[in-house]
Amino acid sequence: MSDGQILLSAKDLEFEYSSRVWGFKRLTYPVLKGMTFDVRRGETLGIVGRNGCGKSSLLRILNGVIAPTGGTLIEHKGMTRILLTLGLGFDVHLTGRDNAMLSAMLQGYSRERARASLEDIKEFSELGDFFERPVKMYSSGMRSRLGFSTAMKTEVDLLLIDETLSVGDQNFNRKAEKAMMEKINSDQTVIFVSHSGKQVNKVCSRAIWLEDGQIKAEGDTKSVAREYKQFMDALSKQGGKTAWAS
Amino acid sequence: MKPLQFISLLDIKARMGLKSEASKLYLSYLWWVLEPILWALAFFFVFEILLAFGRDLFFILCGKVPFLWFSKSVTNGSGSIVSGKSLINQTNVPKHFFPYETVQGILYKQWLVFLVLLGLAVIFGYAPTWHWLWLIPLIIVQYLVILAVTLLGALLVSYVRDVRILINMSMLFLMFTSGIFWDLSRISDPIKRDLLITWNPLAYLIDAYRKVIMYNTMYDVSHLLAVAGVFFGAIVLLHVIYHYKGQAIASRVINS
Repeated sequence: MSDGQILLSAKDLEFEYSSRVWGFKRLTYPVLKGMTFDVRRGETLGIVGRNGCGKSSLLRILNGVIAPTGGTLIEHKGMTRILLTLGLGFDVHLTGRDNAMLSAMLQGYSRERARASLEDIKEFSELGDFFERPVKMYSSGMRSRLGFSTAMKTEVDLLLIDETLSVGDQNFNRKAEKAMMEKINSDQTVIFVSHSGKQVNKVCSRAIWLEDGQIKAEGDTKSVAREYKQFMDALSKQGGKTAWAS
Repeated sequence: MKPLQFISLLDIKARMGLKSEASKLYLSYLWWVLEPILWALAFFFVFEILLAFGRDLFFILCGKVPFLWFSKSVTNGSGSIVSGKSLINQTNVPKHFFPYETVQGILYKQWLVFLVLLGLAVIFGYAPTWHWLWLIPLIIVQYLVILAVTLLGALLVSYVRDVRILINMSMLFLMFTSGIFWDLSRISDPIKRDLLITWNPLAYLIDAYRKVIMYNTMYDVSHLLAVAGVFFGAIVLLHVIYHYKGQAIASRVINS
Protein backbone atom coordinates (compact mmCIF):
# COMPACT_ATOMS: atom_id res chain seq x y z
CA MET A 1 0.00 0.00 0.00
CA SER A 2 2.59 2.50 1.08
CA ASP A 3 5.39 2.85 -1.44
CA GLY A 4 7.43 4.87 0.98
CA GLN A 5 7.50 8.10 -1.01
CA ILE A 6 7.12 11.04 1.33
CA LEU A 7 4.15 13.23 0.46
CA LEU A 8 4.32 15.62 3.37
CA SER A 9 7.06 16.25 5.83
CA ALA A 10 6.56 18.37 8.92
CA LYS A 11 9.49 19.56 10.96
CA ASP A 12 9.10 21.35 14.29
CA LEU A 13 5.73 22.56 13.16
CA GLU A 14 4.44 25.40 15.30
CA PHE A 15 1.30 27.42 15.10
CA GLU A 16 0.26 30.38 17.13
CA TYR A 17 -3.27 31.56 16.84
CA SER A 18 -3.74 35.30 16.77
CA SER A 19 -7.11 36.93 16.87
CA ARG A 20 -8.36 40.43 17.35
CA VAL A 21 -10.51 40.68 20.42
CA TRP A 22 -11.57 44.27 20.69
CA GLY A 23 -10.29 47.50 19.13
CA PHE A 24 -6.57 47.08 18.56
CA LYS A 25 -6.20 44.38 21.20
CA ARG A 26 -5.05 41.02 19.92
CA LEU A 27 -4.77 37.76 21.74
CA THR A 28 -2.29 35.10 20.78
CA TYR A 29 -2.47 31.53 21.85
CA PRO A 30 0.04 28.81 21.00
CA VAL A 31 -1.75 25.83 19.50
CA LEU A 32 0.96 23.63 18.00
CA LYS A 33 4.27 23.50 19.83
CA GLY A 34 6.68 21.72 17.56
CA MET A 35 5.56 18.60 15.74
CA THR A 36 7.77 16.46 13.53
CA PHE A 37 6.31 13.73 11.36
CA ASP A 38 6.10 12.44 7.80
CA VAL A 39 3.16 11.36 5.72
CA ARG A 40 3.95 8.69 3.16
CA ARG A 41 2.07 8.07 -0.03
CA GLY A 42 -0.58 5.40 0.33
CA GLU A 43 -0.79 5.29 4.11
CA THR A 44 -3.71 6.15 6.33
CA LEU A 45 -2.50 8.28 9.16
CA GLY A 46 -4.76 8.80 12.13
CA ILE A 47 -4.42 11.86 14.33
CA VAL A 48 -6.16 11.52 17.62
CA GLY A 49 -6.58 13.99 20.44
CA ARG A 50 -9.14 15.61 22.67
CA ASN A 51 -10.99 18.88 22.12
CA GLY A 52 -8.71 21.88 21.86
CA CYS A 53 -5.49 19.93 21.34
CA GLY A 54 -4.87 21.55 17.95
CA LYS A 55 -6.39 19.06 15.53
CA SER A 56 -8.28 21.54 13.40
CA SER A 57 -5.36 23.95 13.14
CA LEU A 58 -3.10 21.08 12.13
CA LEU A 59 -5.61 19.99 9.52
CA ARG A 60 -5.74 23.50 8.07
CA ILE A 61 -1.97 23.60 7.85
CA LEU A 62 -1.80 20.17 6.23
CA ASN A 63 -4.49 21.26 3.81
CA GLY A 64 -2.32 24.20 2.78
CA VAL A 65 -4.90 26.75 3.84
CA ILE A 66 -2.72 28.49 6.38
CA ALA A 67 1.01 28.54 6.94
CA PRO A 68 2.61 27.35 10.17
CA THR A 69 4.02 30.18 12.27
CA GLY A 70 7.14 28.13 13.01
CA GLY A 71 8.96 25.14 11.61
CA THR A 72 8.64 23.87 8.06
CA LEU A 73 6.20 21.83 6.06
CA ILE A 74 7.67 20.29 2.94
CA GLU A 75 5.12 19.22 0.39
CA HIS A 76 5.42 17.00 -2.61
CA LYS A 77 5.34 19.28 -5.63
CA GLY A 78 1.98 19.68 -7.33
CA MET A 79 0.16 17.71 -4.65
CA THR A 80 -3.65 17.95 -4.77
CA ARG A 81 -5.74 17.51 -1.66
CA ILE A 82 -9.27 17.84 -0.45
CA LEU A 83 -10.74 18.27 2.99
CA LEU A 84 -13.76 16.07 3.35
CA THR A 85 -16.42 18.29 4.79
CA LEU A 86 -20.12 17.99 4.66
CA GLY A 87 -20.88 20.63 2.11
CA LEU A 88 -19.99 23.87 3.81
CA GLY A 89 -19.04 25.80 0.73
CA PHE A 90 -22.22 25.28 -1.23
CA ASP A 91 -24.11 28.04 -2.94
CA VAL A 92 -27.63 27.10 -1.98
CA HIS A 93 -29.16 28.92 -4.94
CA LEU A 94 -27.37 26.67 -7.40
CA THR A 95 -28.24 23.10 -8.26
CA GLY A 96 -26.40 20.13 -6.84
CA ARG A 97 -24.88 19.58 -10.27
CA ASP A 98 -23.50 23.14 -10.45
CA ASN A 99 -22.10 22.90 -6.95
CA ALA A 100 -20.44 19.56 -7.64
CA MET A 101 -18.98 21.00 -10.82
CA LEU A 102 -17.52 23.96 -8.95
CA SER A 103 -16.11 21.74 -6.21
CA ALA A 104 -14.38 19.49 -8.70
CA MET A 105 -12.93 22.44 -10.58
CA LEU A 106 -11.72 24.00 -7.37
CA GLN A 107 -9.71 20.82 -6.84
CA GLY A 108 -7.94 21.48 -10.10
CA TYR A 109 -10.13 19.50 -12.51
CA SER A 110 -10.48 20.86 -16.01
CA ARG A 111 -13.98 21.74 -17.15
CA GLU A 112 -14.25 18.57 -19.25
CA ARG A 113 -12.96 16.29 -16.52
CA ALA A 114 -15.25 17.88 -13.95
CA ARG A 115 -18.23 17.47 -16.22
CA ALA A 116 -17.33 13.83 -16.82
CA SER A 117 -17.21 13.11 -13.10
CA LEU A 118 -20.68 14.52 -12.47
CA GLU A 119 -22.65 11.41 -13.40
CA ASP A 120 -20.58 9.39 -10.99
CA ILE A 121 -21.25 11.87 -8.21
CA LYS A 122 -24.96 11.91 -9.00
CA GLU A 123 -25.18 8.16 -8.91
CA PHE A 124 -23.19 7.78 -5.72
CA SER A 125 -25.15 10.43 -3.87
CA GLU A 126 -28.47 8.79 -4.85
CA LEU A 127 -29.96 12.26 -5.05
CA GLY A 128 -31.81 11.53 -8.30
CA ASP A 129 -33.87 14.46 -9.54
CA PHE A 130 -32.75 16.56 -6.60
CA PHE A 131 -29.27 16.67 -8.14
CA GLU A 132 -30.74 19.08 -10.70
CA ARG A 133 -32.50 21.24 -8.09
CA PRO A 134 -31.18 24.15 -6.04
CA VAL A 135 -29.42 23.06 -2.86
CA LYS A 136 -31.74 25.30 -0.80
CA MET A 137 -34.42 22.66 -1.39
CA TYR A 138 -32.25 19.95 0.15
CA SER A 139 -32.68 18.46 3.58
CA SER A 140 -29.54 18.55 5.70
CA GLY A 141 -28.97 14.85 5.04
CA MET A 142 -29.14 15.45 1.32
CA ARG A 143 -26.59 18.23 1.59
CA SER A 144 -24.21 15.94 3.43
CA ARG A 145 -24.68 13.31 0.76
CA LEU A 146 -23.78 15.82 -1.93
CA GLY A 147 -20.71 17.02 -0.04
CA PHE A 148 -19.50 13.54 0.73
CA SER A 149 -20.07 12.21 -2.78
CA THR A 150 -18.32 15.17 -4.38
CA ALA A 151 -15.25 14.73 -2.21
CA MET A 152 -15.24 10.96 -2.61
CA LYS A 153 -15.44 11.05 -6.37
CA THR A 154 -12.76 13.69 -6.83
CA GLU A 155 -9.37 12.05 -7.21
CA VAL A 156 -6.72 13.79 -5.17
CA ASP A 157 -3.33 12.86 -3.77
CA LEU A 158 -4.29 13.50 -0.18
CA LEU A 159 -7.68 13.11 1.42
CA LEU A 160 -8.19 14.81 4.76
CA ILE A 161 -11.07 13.64 6.90
CA ASP A 162 -12.24 15.51 9.96
CA GLU A 163 -13.99 13.79 12.86
CA THR A 164 -17.00 11.56 12.80
CA LEU A 165 -18.84 11.30 9.59
CA SER A 166 -22.48 10.85 10.18
CA VAL A 167 -23.43 11.39 6.64
CA GLY A 168 -26.99 10.33 6.18
CA ASP A 169 -29.35 7.64 7.20
CA GLN A 170 -28.19 4.18 8.15
CA ASN A 171 -28.30 2.97 4.58
CA PHE A 172 -26.11 5.70 3.18
CA ASN A 173 -23.85 5.60 6.21
CA ARG A 174 -22.95 2.03 5.48
CA LYS A 175 -22.29 2.91 1.86
CA ALA A 176 -20.23 5.95 2.84
CA GLU A 177 -18.18 3.95 5.28
CA LYS A 178 -17.60 1.28 2.68
CA ALA A 179 -16.49 3.84 0.13
CA MET A 180 -14.19 5.41 2.66
CA MET A 181 -12.69 2.05 3.58
CA GLU A 182 -12.14 1.33 -0.11
CA LYS A 183 -10.31 4.61 -0.47
CA ILE A 184 -8.30 3.89 2.63
CA ASN A 185 -7.37 0.40 1.44
CA SER A 186 -6.44 1.62 -2.02
CA ASP A 187 -3.28 3.62 -2.59
CA GLN A 188 -5.08 6.79 -1.56
CA THR A 189 -3.24 8.73 1.11
CA VAL A 190 -5.57 9.65 3.93
CA ILE A 191 -5.18 11.71 7.06
CA PHE A 192 -7.96 10.98 9.45
CA VAL A 193 -8.47 13.26 12.39
CA SER A 194 -10.67 12.27 15.28
CA HIS A 195 -11.17 12.57 19.01
CA SER A 196 -12.07 8.91 19.16
CA GLY A 197 -9.26 6.40 19.54
CA LYS A 198 -11.63 3.62 18.65
CA GLN A 199 -12.45 5.14 15.29
CA VAL A 200 -8.81 5.75 14.46
CA ASN A 201 -7.97 2.20 15.43
CA LYS A 202 -10.64 0.95 13.08
CA VAL A 203 -9.41 2.66 9.92
CA CYS A 204 -5.82 3.77 10.24
CA SER A 205 -2.50 2.07 9.66
CA ARG A 206 -0.47 4.47 11.78
CA ALA A 207 -1.48 6.95 14.43
CA ILE A 208 -0.31 10.10 16.16
CA TRP A 209 -1.67 11.20 19.51
CA LEU A 210 -1.74 14.94 19.79
CA GLU A 211 -1.88 16.50 23.24
CA ASP A 212 -1.32 20.15 24.05
CA GLY A 213 0.15 20.88 20.63
CA GLN A 214 2.74 18.13 20.84
CA ILE A 215 3.05 14.53 19.76
CA LYS A 216 2.54 12.45 22.83
CA ALA A 217 2.72 9.06 21.14
CA GLU A 218 3.29 7.85 17.64
CA GLY A 219 3.36 4.58 15.77
CA ASP A 220 1.23 1.46 15.80
CA THR A 221 -2.42 2.40 15.91
CA LYS A 222 -3.38 -0.13 18.54
CA SER A 223 -0.86 0.97 21.14
CA VAL A 224 -1.40 4.68 20.47
CA ALA A 225 -5.14 4.23 20.82
CA ARG A 226 -4.64 2.27 24.03
CA GLU A 227 -2.39 4.92 25.55
CA TYR A 228 -4.81 7.62 24.56
CA LYS A 229 -7.70 5.71 26.09
CA GLN A 230 -5.84 5.23 29.36
CA PHE A 231 -5.10 8.94 29.46
CA MET A 232 -8.70 9.90 28.81
CA ASP A 233 -10.04 7.33 31.29
CA ALA A 234 -7.70 8.63 33.97
CA LEU A 235 -8.79 12.15 33.14
CA SER A 236 -12.46 11.43 33.57
CA LYS A 237 -11.81 9.54 36.80
CA GLN A 238 -9.82 12.33 38.40
CA GLY A 239 -11.92 15.06 36.84
CA GLY A 240 -8.83 16.53 35.18
CA LYS A 241 -8.45 19.80 33.40
CA THR A 242 -9.45 20.60 29.84
CA ALA A 243 -6.73 20.96 27.24
CA TRP A 244 -6.94 24.75 27.27
CA ALA A 245 -6.78 25.19 31.06
CA SER A 246 -3.40 26.37 32.24
CA MET B 1 -3.35 26.87 -10.19
CA LYS B 2 -2.37 27.29 -13.83
CA PRO B 3 -3.47 30.49 -15.63
CA LEU B 4 -5.73 28.64 -18.04
CA GLN B 5 -7.37 26.72 -15.24
CA PHE B 6 -7.79 29.95 -13.31
CA ILE B 7 -9.55 31.61 -16.23
CA SER B 8 -11.77 28.61 -16.86
CA LEU B 9 -12.79 28.40 -13.22
CA LEU B 10 -13.25 32.17 -13.11
CA ASP B 11 -15.56 32.09 -16.07
CA ILE B 12 -17.74 29.29 -14.77
CA LYS B 13 -17.85 30.59 -11.22
CA ALA B 14 -18.75 34.10 -12.33
CA ARG B 15 -21.52 32.84 -14.57
CA MET B 16 -22.91 30.59 -11.88
CA GLY B 17 -22.75 33.49 -9.46
CA LEU B 18 -24.91 35.54 -11.81
CA LYS B 19 -27.34 32.67 -12.12
CA SER B 20 -27.49 32.33 -8.36
CA GLU B 21 -27.96 36.06 -7.86
CA ALA B 22 -30.67 36.29 -10.50
CA SER B 23 -32.55 33.37 -9.01
CA LYS B 24 -32.94 35.31 -5.76
CA LEU B 25 -34.80 38.15 -7.46
CA TYR B 26 -38.28 38.20 -8.95
CA LEU B 27 -37.17 40.33 -11.90
CA SER B 28 -33.87 38.42 -12.08
CA TYR B 29 -31.85 39.41 -15.16
CA LEU B 30 -34.07 42.45 -15.87
CA TRP B 31 -32.36 44.28 -13.02
CA TRP B 32 -29.12 44.51 -14.99
CA VAL B 33 -30.70 47.09 -17.25
CA LEU B 34 -33.34 48.43 -14.90
CA GLU B 35 -30.88 49.54 -12.25
CA PRO B 36 -28.80 52.06 -14.25
CA ILE B 37 -31.93 53.48 -15.83
CA LEU B 38 -33.61 54.02 -12.46
CA TRP B 39 -30.45 55.67 -11.17
CA ALA B 40 -30.34 58.02 -14.11
CA LEU B 41 -34.01 58.89 -13.65
CA ALA B 42 -33.40 59.74 -10.00
CA PHE B 43 -30.49 61.97 -10.94
CA PHE B 44 -32.51 63.55 -13.69
CA PHE B 45 -35.24 64.42 -11.23
CA VAL B 46 -32.85 66.10 -8.82
CA PHE B 47 -30.45 67.87 -11.15
CA GLU B 48 -32.68 68.77 -14.04
CA ILE B 49 -36.18 69.08 -12.75
CA LEU B 50 -35.34 70.54 -9.34
CA LEU B 51 -31.97 72.23 -9.90
CA ALA B 52 -32.12 72.84 -13.67
CA PHE B 53 -28.48 72.06 -14.50
CA GLY B 54 -29.42 72.10 -18.16
CA ARG B 55 -28.37 68.56 -19.11
CA ASP B 56 -30.56 65.95 -20.69
CA LEU B 57 -31.26 62.50 -19.33
CA PHE B 58 -28.81 60.86 -21.70
CA PHE B 59 -25.95 63.04 -20.51
CA ILE B 60 -26.47 61.72 -17.00
CA LEU B 61 -26.94 58.17 -18.19
CA CYS B 62 -23.71 58.36 -20.14
CA GLY B 63 -21.87 59.18 -16.91
CA LYS B 64 -23.79 56.98 -14.56
CA VAL B 65 -23.48 53.74 -16.52
CA PRO B 66 -19.65 53.63 -16.52
CA PHE B 67 -19.57 54.90 -12.96
CA LEU B 68 -21.94 52.18 -11.72
CA TRP B 69 -19.74 49.59 -13.37
CA PHE B 70 -16.82 50.89 -11.35
CA SER B 71 -18.58 51.43 -8.04
CA LYS B 72 -20.44 48.12 -8.00
CA SER B 73 -17.31 46.16 -8.86
CA VAL B 74 -15.24 47.86 -6.21
CA THR B 75 -17.78 47.80 -3.38
CA ASN B 76 -18.82 44.20 -3.98
CA GLY B 77 -15.32 43.02 -4.81
CA SER B 78 -13.77 44.56 -1.72
CA GLY B 79 -15.78 42.29 0.53
CA SER B 80 -15.25 39.25 -1.66
CA ILE B 81 -12.34 37.65 0.16
CA VAL B 82 -14.00 38.07 3.54
CA SER B 83 -17.23 36.56 2.29
CA GLY B 84 -15.34 33.68 0.73
CA LYS B 85 -14.42 32.55 4.23
CA SER B 86 -16.03 29.12 4.11
CA LEU B 87 -14.26 28.27 0.87
CA ILE B 88 -10.96 29.68 2.13
CA ASN B 89 -11.31 27.49 5.18
CA GLN B 90 -11.57 24.39 3.05
CA THR B 91 -9.13 24.79 0.24
CA ASN B 92 -6.05 26.72 -0.71
CA VAL B 93 -7.64 28.62 -3.57
CA PRO B 94 -5.65 31.67 -4.75
CA LYS B 95 -7.07 34.61 -2.84
CA HIS B 96 -7.12 37.01 -5.76
CA PHE B 97 -9.64 34.65 -7.28
CA PHE B 98 -12.41 36.24 -5.19
CA PRO B 99 -12.09 39.86 -6.36
CA TYR B 100 -11.57 38.59 -9.90
CA GLU B 101 -14.76 36.60 -9.64
CA THR B 102 -16.81 39.64 -8.62
CA VAL B 103 -15.29 41.85 -11.30
CA GLN B 104 -15.85 39.16 -13.91
CA GLY B 105 -19.50 38.64 -12.96
CA ILE B 106 -20.21 42.35 -13.22
CA LEU B 107 -18.32 42.52 -16.50
CA TYR B 108 -20.68 39.91 -17.95
CA LYS B 109 -23.62 42.11 -17.10
CA GLN B 110 -21.93 45.22 -18.31
CA TRP B 111 -21.76 44.41 -22.01
CA LEU B 112 -25.55 44.26 -22.06
CA VAL B 113 -25.81 47.52 -20.15
CA PHE B 114 -23.48 49.19 -22.65
CA LEU B 115 -25.59 47.89 -25.51
CA VAL B 116 -28.68 49.36 -23.91
CA LEU B 117 -26.82 52.64 -23.41
CA LEU B 118 -25.92 52.78 -27.09
CA GLY B 119 -29.48 51.90 -28.02
CA LEU B 120 -30.71 54.79 -25.89
CA ALA B 121 -28.13 57.05 -27.54
CA VAL B 122 -29.81 56.38 -30.86
CA ILE B 123 -33.22 57.10 -29.37
CA PHE B 124 -31.91 60.38 -27.96
CA GLY B 125 -30.72 61.39 -31.42
CA TYR B 126 -27.02 60.54 -31.38
CA ALA B 127 -26.59 58.61 -34.60
CA PRO B 128 -24.19 55.65 -34.44
CA THR B 129 -20.94 56.07 -36.35
CA TRP B 130 -17.71 54.12 -36.73
CA HIS B 131 -16.28 56.60 -34.29
CA TRP B 132 -18.02 54.63 -31.55
CA LEU B 133 -15.38 51.93 -31.95
CA TRP B 134 -13.14 54.25 -29.93
CA LEU B 135 -15.23 53.14 -26.96
CA ILE B 136 -13.42 49.81 -26.95
CA PRO B 137 -10.08 51.16 -25.66
CA LEU B 138 -12.00 53.14 -23.05
CA ILE B 139 -13.79 50.04 -21.84
CA ILE B 140 -10.56 48.05 -21.68
CA VAL B 141 -8.77 50.73 -19.68
CA GLN B 142 -11.72 51.14 -17.35
CA TYR B 143 -11.59 47.38 -16.78
CA LEU B 144 -7.94 47.70 -15.75
CA VAL B 145 -8.79 50.54 -13.37
CA ILE B 146 -11.61 48.52 -11.83
CA LEU B 147 -9.45 45.43 -11.45
CA ALA B 148 -6.59 47.26 -9.77
CA VAL B 149 -8.81 49.12 -7.32
CA THR B 150 -10.85 46.00 -6.50
CA LEU B 151 -7.76 43.86 -5.92
CA LEU B 152 -6.37 46.52 -3.60
CA GLY B 153 -9.69 46.98 -1.80
CA ALA B 154 -10.20 43.27 -1.22
CA LEU B 155 -6.67 42.90 0.10
CA LEU B 156 -7.05 45.79 2.54
CA VAL B 157 -10.48 44.67 3.73
CA SER B 158 -9.22 41.15 4.39
CA TYR B 159 -6.67 42.65 6.78
CA VAL B 160 -8.67 45.48 8.27
CA ARG B 161 -12.41 45.33 7.80
CA ASP B 162 -12.85 48.99 8.71
CA VAL B 163 -11.56 49.85 5.26
CA ARG B 164 -14.88 48.78 3.86
CA ILE B 165 -16.58 51.78 5.44
CA LEU B 166 -13.97 54.07 3.92
CA ILE B 167 -14.47 52.48 0.52
CA ASN B 168 -18.20 53.08 0.65
CA MET B 169 -17.57 56.69 1.61
CA SER B 170 -15.07 57.28 -1.13
CA MET B 171 -17.54 55.92 -3.66
CA LEU B 172 -19.92 58.70 -2.75
CA PHE B 173 -17.10 61.22 -2.95
CA LEU B 174 -16.07 59.87 -6.35
CA MET B 175 -19.63 60.05 -7.57
CA PHE B 176 -19.69 63.78 -6.94
CA THR B 177 -16.24 64.42 -8.38
CA SER B 178 -16.45 62.37 -11.56
CA GLY B 179 -18.75 64.63 -13.51
CA ILE B 180 -21.77 62.39 -13.73
CA PHE B 181 -24.37 65.14 -13.61
CA TRP B 182 -22.14 68.08 -14.56
CA ASP B 183 -19.67 68.69 -17.34
CA LEU B 184 -15.96 68.99 -16.71
CA SER B 185 -16.01 72.31 -18.54
CA ARG B 186 -17.98 73.73 -15.62
CA ILE B 187 -14.69 73.90 -13.72
CA SER B 188 -13.49 77.27 -14.95
CA ASP B 189 -9.98 77.10 -13.48
CA PRO B 190 -7.92 74.97 -15.94
CA ILE B 191 -5.41 74.02 -13.26
CA LYS B 192 -8.10 72.57 -11.04
CA ARG B 193 -9.60 70.79 -14.01
CA ASP B 194 -6.26 69.24 -14.92
CA LEU B 195 -5.73 68.19 -11.35
CA LEU B 196 -9.08 66.45 -11.29
CA ILE B 197 -8.41 64.64 -14.56
CA THR B 198 -4.98 63.55 -13.38
CA TRP B 199 -6.05 62.27 -10.00
CA ASN B 200 -9.47 60.93 -10.82
CA PRO B 201 -9.24 58.69 -13.87
CA LEU B 202 -12.99 58.17 -13.68
CA ALA B 203 -13.63 61.85 -14.42
CA TYR B 204 -11.39 61.52 -17.45
CA LEU B 205 -13.01 58.28 -18.59
CA ILE B 206 -16.58 59.54 -18.22
CA ASP B 207 -15.71 62.68 -20.14
CA ALA B 208 -14.12 60.52 -22.84
CA TYR B 209 -17.23 58.30 -23.11
CA ARG B 210 -19.30 61.42 -23.71
CA LYS B 211 -16.86 62.78 -26.25
CA VAL B 212 -17.18 59.62 -28.30
CA ILE B 213 -20.91 58.93 -28.01
CA MET B 214 -22.40 62.39 -27.82
CA TYR B 215 -20.03 64.87 -29.40
CA ASN B 216 -18.28 62.73 -31.99
CA THR B 217 -14.93 64.10 -30.88
CA MET B 218 -11.74 62.39 -29.81
CA TYR B 219 -10.34 62.02 -26.32
CA ASP B 220 -6.71 62.45 -25.32
CA VAL B 221 -5.20 59.08 -26.27
CA SER B 222 -1.84 59.66 -24.60
CA HIS B 223 -3.61 60.27 -21.29
CA LEU B 224 -5.51 57.02 -21.78
CA LEU B 225 -2.27 55.15 -22.36
CA ALA B 226 -0.78 56.66 -19.23
CA VAL B 227 -3.78 55.56 -17.18
CA ALA B 228 -3.54 52.08 -18.70
CA GLY B 229 0.17 51.86 -17.88
CA VAL B 230 -0.19 52.95 -14.27
CA PHE B 231 -3.05 50.62 -13.49
CA PHE B 232 -1.54 47.69 -15.33
CA GLY B 233 1.57 48.14 -13.24
CA ALA B 234 -0.56 48.24 -10.13
CA ILE B 235 -2.26 44.98 -11.10
CA VAL B 236 1.08 43.23 -11.59
CA LEU B 237 2.30 44.48 -8.22
CA LEU B 238 -0.90 43.35 -6.51
CA HIS B 239 -0.56 39.91 -8.08
CA VAL B 240 2.88 39.60 -6.56
CA ILE B 241 1.54 40.59 -3.15
CA TYR B 242 -1.36 38.15 -3.42
CA HIS B 243 1.05 35.42 -4.44
CA TYR B 244 3.25 35.81 -1.39
CA LYS B 245 0.54 36.68 1.12
CA GLY B 246 -2.00 34.00 0.19
CA GLN B 247 -1.81 31.99 3.39
CA ALA B 248 -1.42 35.08 5.55
CA ILE B 249 -4.66 36.43 4.11
CA ALA B 250 -6.35 33.09 4.79
CA SER B 251 -5.24 33.12 8.38
CA ARG B 252 -6.48 36.70 8.80
CA VAL B 253 -9.85 35.84 7.33
CA ILE B 254 -10.30 32.61 9.28
CA ASN B 255 -9.33 34.13 12.62
CA SER B 256 -11.37 37.27 12.31
